[in-house]
Amino acid sequence: MKSALLPERGPGDRLTAIFWRRPRVLLAVLIAPPLLWLGVVYIGSLAALLLQSFYSIDEFSGLVVREFTLKTYGELLRPANFDIIRRTLLMSASVTLASAVVAFPIAYYAARYATGRWKAVFYLGIMLPLWSSYLVKVYAWKLILAKEGIVTWVADSVGLGFLLDAALALPGVGGNSLSTSFLGTFLVFVYVWLPYMILPMQAALERVPKSLLEASADLGASSAQTFRTVILPLAMPGVIAGSIFTFSLTMGDYIIPQIVGTSARFIGLAVYQLQGTAGNLPLAAAFAVVPIIIMLIYLSLAKRAGAFDAL
Amino acid sequence: MTAAVEFQTVSRHFGPVRAVDEVNLSVAEGTFFAMLGPSGSGKTTCLRLISGFEKPTHGAIRIFGQDVSNTPPNRRNVNTVFQDYALFPHLNVRENVGYGLMVKGVGRATRNAKADEMLALVKLDGFGERKPGQLSGGQRQRVALARALVNEPRVLLLDEPLGALDLKLREAMQDELKALQKRLGITFVFVTHDQGEALSMADRLAVFNHGKIAQIGTPEEIYSRPRTHFVADFVGSSNVLPPDLVQRLGAPPTWASLRPEALRLTAAQGAVLSGAIIGLRYLGAGTRVTVAVAGAEIGVLVPSGAQLPEAGAEVGIAFDLADLHPMEEA
Amino acid sequence: MRSENRAPKSLTLAAIGGLLFLHLPIALIFLYAFTTEERTYQFPPPGLTLKWFAVAWNRADIWPPLYLSLRVAAVATLMALVLGTLCAAAMARARFFGRDQLSLLIILPIALPGVITGMSLRSAFSLMDIPFSTLTIILGHATFCIVIVYNNAVARFRRLSGSITEASADLGANSFQTFRYILLPNLGSALLAGAMLAFALSFDEVIVTTFTAGQQSTLPIWMLQELVRPRQRPVTNVVAIVVFATTFIPILIAYYLTRGGSETAGGGK
Repeated sequence: MKSALLPERGPGDRLTAIFWRRPRVLLAVLIAPPLLWLGVVYIGSLAALLLQSFYSIDEFSGLVVREFTLKTYGELLRPANFDIIRRTLLMSASVTLASAVVAFPIAYYAARYATGRWKAVFYLGIMLPLWSSYLVKVYAWKLILAKEGIVTWVADSVGLGFLLDAALALPGVGGNSLSTSFLGTFLVFVYVWLPYMILPMQAALERVPKSLLEASADLGASSAQTFRTVILPLAMPGVIAGSIFTFSLTMGDYIIPQIVGTSARFIGLAVYQLQGTAGNLPLAAAFAVVPIIIMLIYLSLAKRAGAFDAL
Repeated sequence: MTAAVEFQTVSRHFGPVRAVDEVNLSVAEGTFFAMLGPSGSGKTTCLRLISGFEKPTHGAIRIFGQDVSNTPPNRRNVNTVFQDYALFPHLNVRENVGYGLMVKGVGRATRNAKADEMLALVKLDGFGERKPGQLSGGQRQRVALARALVNEPRVLLLDEPLGALDLKLREAMQDELKALQKRLGITFVFVTHDQGEALSMADRLAVFNHGKIAQIGTPEEIYSRPRTHFVADFVGSSNVLPPDLVQRLGAPPTWASLRPEALRLTAAQGAVLSGAIIGLRYLGAGTRVTVAVAGAEIGVLVPSGAQLPEAGAEVGIAFDLADLHPMEEA
Repeated sequence: MRSENRAPKSLTLAAIGGLLFLHLPIALIFLYAFTTEERTYQFPPPGLTLKWFAVAWNRADIWPPLYLSLRVAAVATLMALVLGTLCAAAMARARFFGRDQLSLLIILPIALPGVITGMSLRSAFSLMDIPFSTLTIILGHATFCIVIVYNNAVARFRRLSGSITEASADLGANSFQTFRYILLPNLGSALLAGAMLAFALSFDEVIVTTFTAGQQSTLPIWMLQELVRPRQRPVTNVVAIVVFATTFIPILIAYYLTRGGSETAGGGK
């Protein structure tokens, strides 16, 4: 008859016994490498960035003065800089809003009506643009919005060229052509970040049980009422989750405004130029802190609204 | 003879919850031992303490006399049939059964031969190539059994293994498991919340309540002489009589139990116990008649075929005083 | 009640319109790769030709960035695979102090704008005296790829019956055997899907790369330069098609690997 206990064979068994006796050891072994990278190096460098923003730059020598000061933050409030922040936030907000509006029918259809083969079509139809190359997508819009490009051609061929001209003539958002206007920048942002809004929205809508809608109808609600009082509130966590992406991505992007748009700067571009060619690291850092703070507030609000379950 | 499994004042606390609370237990080698109790009573935690998935907060556990405080599950010669069977979905039935041998370094040929032998034992010859997903619930249960037994464990632990099966299959498996245990002579520790299952299969059983063992004994002892109100209620549905009523019946004034099937209905006049019938429940093999007697409700099992009185009728209850069993606790 | 299951016409139209909006621009990239006009983006193209594929093939400045991008994506994916799986395993195991903070930490590199991740990594690298090189590009990419692998792995962990690892230990396997024979085969497709997505993400990343790269340029950086200062425009389109295909194929593989599960890959880029 075999013994009640089996012999220990090799180092694997010995380590297993240690893990079993002290489960925290295994946890520590698992968590140490990612924590070392994300928790120490990544967070460390974010902190270093934050620290830079409390330094200032000597106006004559152009060297960084390593003394604690709020002067650099003060500079953010200068009209030229403050304009950049305001412009960026406005753009992020309108892109988020527009994405939500465009995304909703797609997400709603995919979640509620698409079945079988169509479900797969919708899924891939959203996934592929999400994952396909960012630069390729931006480039595509450079082609589309160019003065001699397809938008102008379509507008002219259907006799709506005057509408396009009117839109371009709008003060503030218009420009020489779509590819050199705010309108163009806005369009590209919406296009590029749209899938980020659709997916969490769809996930949230899919979690609305059908019986809930039937219950609402059963209790006498019209479909408009059901939509407003049941579907929309339940879709909200998804919208919030999606908006985390659209908002954050727009705020930090510096490629799109560079390729499609006016010369007016956004936070991302300002950070890029300030730390690079201008060599004003403290101001770049101070600029970078703005989206970090906005996102941290946004994330904690979103967490409270239960948006993380919809990710 | 050393006990197969021995608990010495074993406790397992989860934060403030005492899932297992100072349990003493001894399972003799070769017995079919059942742990019975409602969910949350600590019986499954006890099983996991034996297999090693839980560690005792206090106390010592010995398997065949050897202290296992420092022995992880993989080095205990104890195997488990899990409640959800936990078959490996990516392995076929033969590989599932042979898994324990594989990780111990047994060669493929021997492994497969032994696995097939075990599959034959549980009447699943020829199912070796199938994946667990292609089996019925009953078949999966047999694979789980074969997978555990192939390792020739000194103790086999079964965690509500029949819970997911339908009634007919469950009864067939009860007989089969019992026969298998007799044939192999392995100690079985069986967790269940079904008192019928525990009574019919076990050589000995422990009734759990709130992390403690309420009573331990043979099925006969537990059924006919419940020690506490809880056991009387949970195992079958004994009548529990308060001390003053027991005294009126001519016995010492303690709480006492009285099985419904030991009672007969008689005429109301001249009976020691009498009262109005307040409920009749047809159970198939008989009818349970509830009589309101001096503030207590007493159930009487009337076999099918006997004449039944109407609800509301006044009846008397007769019984043998030997069937009145004093209890230690209320 | 069949009729209740049919979508209103306007909704169907809006949904299909939305899908077209997402896909037509990419189709244009393909069209412009064949145009005979190389200085402007004239539509419709005045003529069609295949010569740009040959031109692109012979351009010496395209090949090194392509190789670099492939190498970076491969190594960054491997690193993310290890780190992301470790995170997922830890999160699946237990509730522990700081668990919520860790989950926030993992998504931070993609939740924060790329400029910030890029810039802070850049200053960290210069602080640590690590010269900007292929290595720094890889480290930057791995940072934001971890979450992709993690998301896929953690979803699969959640779906696996917890008792199969216990069953394995019960049958005598030590932790390493359980990992090798039980966890790995069951996580395999989810990990592969995560790796595919991480590869696709890394292959076309440009923002963080501009901060962490030294003199070398990856294919996206090459493209960015072409976008800002175009030379032969249709050649850029040819490269765009290559980039598109290189990301498209892994994504499709990832989709088919996790199809049917509750956690189809790619939900959280």
